[in-house]
Amino acid sequence: MASGPSPTPEGYRVTPTEPLVRGGAAPTVRPPLPVKMVIAGGFGVGKTTAVGAISEIEPLTTEAAVTEVAAGVDDLTHTPRKTTTTVAMDFGCLTVDPTLKLYLFGTPGQERFGFMWDDIVEGALGALVVVDTRRLGDCYPAVDYFEHRGIPFAVAVNAFDGTVEHTLEEVRWALDVSAGVPVVVFDARERGSVRDALLVVLELALARTER
Amino acid sequence: MADGIAGPDPVGPAPAVRPFLVTAGRVADAGGGRALPLETQVVATAAGLDALGRLSFERHDIVAACRLPQSLAELAARLRLHLNVVRVLAEDLREAGQLAVHVPDAEATHDVSVLRRLIDGLRAVPDSRGVSSDTD
Repeated sequence: MASGPSPTPEGYRVTPTEPLVRGGAAPTVRPPLPVKMVIAGGFGVGKTTAVGAISEIEPLTTEAAVTEVAAGVDDLTHTPRKTTTTVAMDFGCLTVDPTLKLYLFGTPGQERFGFMWDDIVEGALGALVVVDTRRLGDCYPAVDYFEHRGIPFAVAVNAFDGTVEHTLEEVRWALDVSAGVPVVVFDARERGSVRDALLVVLELALARTER
Repeated sequence: MADGIAGPDPVGPAPAVRPFLVTAGRVADAGGGRALPLETQVVATAAGLDALGRLSFERHDIVAACRLPQSLAELAARLRLHLNVVRVLAEDLREAGQLAVHVPDAEATHDVSVLRRLIDGLRAVPDSRGVSSDTD
């Protein structure tokens, strides 16, 4: 817990026009500090199920803008053409205490090639890449993305019916993730199991911060 | 949902009005990296609540929904507005002094003490059988 009462919540960048909302225009309630984690993976792999298992609200859906890098073969300039696409995104949240709230965003669109999730991922503490061992390839874009961005992440194999078809070593070999990336089995429907998988990511983030 | 505060709300079809009619053609700075993060907290100011009767349509709905702090993402989902429309209108309302916009600072959210609090808080979350991870 934070030590001592703090009338001003820590961790907010004061926006340039905030002096305009002084006196009678002061905010009515102090918001918590929001932190964010991302749940990624292929289509139908259990992202929304995992969000719903731990969220204190029913997962909500909103439309986010993502940038799609077109893979054009006739592009002589070698400059990827980028278009902004709107995709549906599921998310949930968990109030840790009155001053700290965790948001969980399921990244959309990973079943298609070339999405950039920067708008969703920017500022995230870490990510969980959910994997179905029957369709391992679906999670390659997510693994590549988080490795490239240097965001702490763990691979979570979703045991849909209590079994996984491959050992964790086989999964690790197939995904070719570095030794520092945890690979765990979890059940996206079980709150405790999702909690423990998220904790693996957070412990990794903490170890990196303390290093 | 009269005042837009917490409560499950099934998401229905998108509104018939094109998003950027609502913002008079302005767009949020998505892609440039300066757009307000999804988890940015917004909360109505006293002046905003006072002005509620004079606000119309989406601006009214946003200020009314922000009696309790929430994220831009929640606001967009609950009001069924495009996220970037909410970003533009939230900036407008902030400039008018009717909405306080709290942008999370990346340094603060990645602070060791925040990570520790989060880990401790998450460990205390019971699983489906009511067992928290720090009691086993």
